[in-house]
Amino acid sequence: MTKIELRNITKSFGNFTANNDISFCIAENSVHCIVGENGAGKSTLMNILFGMIKPDEGEIIISGSPVTFASPHDAIAKKIGMVHQHFMLIDDFTVLENVILGDEPVKGISLNIASARDKLKELISKYDLEINLDEKISNLSISIQQKVEILKLLYRDSDLLIFDEPTAVLSPIEVNSFFEMVRNFKNTGKTVIVITHKLNEVKEIADKVSVLRKGNLVFETDNVSGGIDISEISSAIIGGAELLTIKSKDNQAKSGQIIVRLENISMTSNKRKCLNGLSLSLFAGEIHGIAGVEGNGQAELADIVCGIEKDFEGTAEMPAERASIVPDDRLKKGLIMEFTIGENFALKRKGNSYHSEKELLNSSEKVINSYEVHAPGPEVKLGSLSGGNQQKVVVAREISSGNEVIVFSHPTRGVDINAELFIHSQIVNERNNGKAILLISSDIEELLSLSDRLSVIYKGKLVRTYETEELSNALNNSEENSDGKIHLVNQLGKLMTGVSH
Amino acid sequence: MEIIYSVFSFTFLAQVFRMMTPYYLGASGANFSERSGVINISIEGFMNMAAFSFAVFCIMTGSILLSLILAVIVNILFSILFSMFTVTLKINQIVTGVGFNLLIAGVTKFLMVFLFSSSSNTPRIFVGYELSDNITAFSIALIFISGYVLYRTKFGLRLRSAGENPWAAESLGIKVRQYKYAGVLISGVLSALGGIWLVSSQHNYSDGMIAGRGYIALAAMIIGKWKPVNIFFACLMFAAFEALEITLQISGAEIPTQIIQMLPYLITILVLIGFIGKTKPPAADGIPY
Amino acid sequence: MKSNFLSVFLSLAFTFIILTILIVVIGKDPLEVYSLIYTDVFTSGYGIGQTLFKATPLIFIACGLAVCFHASLFNIGAEGQLNAGSFVIALTALQLDSLPLVLAIAISAVAGFTAAGIVGLIPAIIKVKKGVSEVITTIMMNFVILALINYLMVDFFAVKSTLRTVSIGDKNMLGKASDIFPFFEGSSLNITFVASLVTAFLVYVLIYKSTFGYKLRAVGFNEVASKYIGIKVSKVVIASFFIGAGIASFAGLNFIFGYKGYYELGFSNNIGFTAIAVALLAKNNPIGIIFSSILFAALDYGGLAVNQLIPKEVMLVVQGLIILSILSSDSIVRNFYTKKGLV
Repeated sequence: MTKIELRNITKSFGNFTANNDISFCIAENSVHCIVGENGAGKSTLMNILFGMIKPDEGEIIISGSPVTFASPHDAIAKKIGMVHQHFMLIDDFTVLENVILGDEPVKGISLNIASARDKLKELISKYDLEINLDEKISNLSISIQQKVEILKLLYRDSDLLIFDEPTAVLSPIEVNSFFEMVRNFKNTGKTVIVITHKLNEVKEIADKVSVLRKGNLVFETDNVSGGIDISEISSAIIGGAELLTIKSKDNQAKSGQIIVRLENISMTSNKRKCLNGLSLSLFAGEIHGIAGVEGNGQAELADIVCGIEKDFEGTAEMPAERASIVPDDRLKKGLIMEFTIGENFALKRKGNSYHSEKELLNSSEKVINSYEVHAPGPEVKLGSLSGGNQQKVVVAREISSGNEVIVFSHPTRGVDINAELFIHSQIVNERNNGKAILLISSDIEELLSLSDRLSVIYKGKLVRTYETEELSNALNNSEENSDGKIHLVNQLGKLMTGVSH
Repeated sequence: MEIIYSVFSFTFLAQVFRMMTPYYLGASGANFSERSGVINISIEGFMNMAAFSFAVFCIMTGSILLSLILAVIVNILFSILFSMFTVTLKINQIVTGVGFNLLIAGVTKFLMVFLFSSSSNTPRIFVGYELSDNITAFSIALIFISGYVLYRTKFGLRLRSAGENPWAAESLGIKVRQYKYAGVLISGVLSALGGIWLVSSQHNYSDGMIAGRGYIALAAMIIGKWKPVNIFFACLMFAAFEALEITLQISGAEIPTQIIQMLPYLITILVLIGFIGKTKPPAADGIPY
Repeated sequence: MKSNFLSVFLSLAFTFIILTILIVVIGKDPLEVYSLIYTDVFTSGYGIGQTLFKATPLIFIACGLAVCFHASLFNIGAEGQLNAGSFVIALTALQLDSLPLVLAIAISAVAGFTAAGIVGLIPAIIKVKKGVSEVITTIMMNFVILALINYLMVDFFAVKSTLRTVSIGDKNMLGKASDIFPFFEGSSLNITFVASLVTAFLVYVLIYKSTFGYKLRAVGFNEVASKYIGIKVSKVVIASFFIGAGIASFAGLNFIFGYKGYYELGFSNNIGFTAIAVALLAKNNPIGIIFSSILFAALDYGGLAVNQLIPKEVMLVVQGLIILSILSSDSIVRNFYTKKGLV
């Protein structure tokens, strides 16, 4: 019995196709996992299903009849509920207030707390949720907060539950009890969709798995009593090693001394342990790649290495001069969009000096010429440049400030191929100039082609580090025989998704 | 000695409760607005506008009830305008507040001279003690009313959700902007009553008669941690300062009254720093949505 | 830039229309009112002199505020800051009557700047250390500072049964502009007006041409990015508050050295709030502030000129209308441009 069917869903943002002609069915009373890399189109698809985004083409069919959603409200009315990755809870409200908000029982003009309490108590015991209804959200752990989100859906009688990365924030024990809950939902006749990165979890709970890559549905398989082939799925996610074209670097690393040493670093932010005993050394003249699924502590690691985050445990030895950073989000963290190129460069200046119009234009001009930035002129504001050119400016600015350590966090995300090649050559250049480089990326191809050393981060810890030799052996072999490379990529995929440690 | 005696007298206590009235009305109003996520620093201006219009309508119509209604309506109009600026056009709430304070100060000063040919005060308006006593009684009842509305009604729950996390509220189908309008509107109405109380107890309107009470109301709201009962005690404390100041002035004691005048503001700063208790505004207070 | 001019034009036009309607409603002839303002303010040396004299403190204060506003710091505390500064200027000047005038003014100015700056530092430090928004703390500081000055004046420094300090004496007063240009005969215009123009120019350079200014504006545009770029945001916040508040104290130079010779309680008459409107109208550009200050001063003086026809307080209404109409026309013009894809 099909609960919900997606037919030929297509959605584009500008000339980027987030979902391309995706069709699949979700059986009633089943657990359906959707997996794929960041940017593969999972969230877009779920947002379409939940009425937050309208598809360009295609239709949604629920229990046999087509529906259209103008807003999440329509989806809620059709008994679809979603737990977002970032919870939609009000910290200062009690659990009960959060759950009833928007659908409050009233008696006269008063809230009918008693009837809500009765209904919720019943649900709590039915699904074994163990929540104190009168506790404030801000006093609850993340896993209990997740249960509150679930209670919100149950209170509204949702029978299709969508979870976006539900286990990303949970500890292993909490993950088990979450699975217990999911099975319980299934047993009581509900249908569950889980978006995840973690394949061992998929193996454990999914009835069916769909893999998305670059907006396409590339693979689907049933999971009959946990007999699914995980390596098949992980290569479908990453795109198959045969597609990888790894460029060898122009010359080999000449590693120097250790510039940055992090020892047993732990960090908690928003009650979440983001780093958990991480140790890492950066050498001069080396690119240290960090592979991992986003949200496993990469952002916090970058902040610590570049000296923005100082609130952590463990020892960190770093140069007195702050590291340069090409941050993961150039709009929010990288640039002042209201400024010209020259003005953005002026922000790096120490002390206080006079900046004439001419000097700033010259500085813009120099950057435009030597970093191949395509800009209508030296006087334009950064906001009017394309993403690739904005990113070139960030890279140029950080490189030219001449610090010993440079952090590149997703340096080529969302940029065109030209900018990508250029940025890669700059990273290698800086390595050759003796800089210690930390390269964080979710693009395996990028990591393998640039890294001199490569670590995999999972749940705030480096779970495996490939030394230079190991890495070059695996990749060199690949020229005669691609086995080494395929093997390496598969292994990375498993490490990143927590299948093997 | 005499001072200490007079401070513990019943008359002093009664005076404190009376003087609490405009503070608590203003502070409760500001609280409704901030609970919906709109910072309203023109409580001072709103009180002034209502005080002035009540005085004018009293002189023009001679009917207290009618004047009261009209003065409240004037404030409702200003509140709607304030909401249009801060909620619909999403203009910065602080700057809008400064603007309203300036405009209202200008309007009242201008109309004073235009209507009464005096830049200082209106002719005497005697409305009896009943009105001011009733408003005081209402403001005491307001402790329970605002507590009930904020915490025990659907309206209050939704209003607070707009000020805490409008995105979450909207995701549950709540029309956040409507609740912000409502919050500002309530602040306009309650501060109107505060202004009217001042006129009815001082028996005329005079320029500058609000004398910072709107700002003290904001201070009381902060010290009272945005909670109706706590705010009431903060207002009571500030009213006690004011009554004490008057008692000292009359007695001619050698204690500088300016020090007492600055206490509400000083205490507020200390509370904000965290020296005295901890205070936290609604999470999305002041953020345009 | 174009959108800025458009919204300023719209708001002034709107205010002008409302004012005209108001004049008609109260039964006066707008033409008569406007021509009276024109003759009084712009055709006599006295009128021009008085307008520029009244613009002087506005230029100082609004320039100081512009420094804070560019960093997205809502300093509502100029009223307290400028009073603290002016009070200290008067007290310092009283101690220096044996020094040459230039030296006395220079030392007093430094003292006033420091005093006002320190008052500005309090909310800045609370913001940086405790994360408390500057809005409420600056408002509260106004009352604390004014009450404190009141106490110090009444109990220690004021001439008995007045609210002013002892006068610094004629020898230490600045000459009037009319001493050199008889054209300004009778007006209180003095050299501090020129100082305010120089200040505006320097603040312009500071904000738009210096490294500090770029960092300041970067923090105002995007605090997170500024942090990643390596700007020390807390230092910028503290420095802008100190400088911004300090400059506001110079309003006292005009009043004390150029006009009365003493500090007087209430001399500022809420000019610290009016200056917020002045800075907003000029989009926080110091050169623009010169013009918007002169406009506000002309309104102020123009009010006196038409007082026989309509109460001069009408100009306070006009000032309030300007600030609200500039806010709304900004927002409307911005939405219009964004919709058209022009920005």
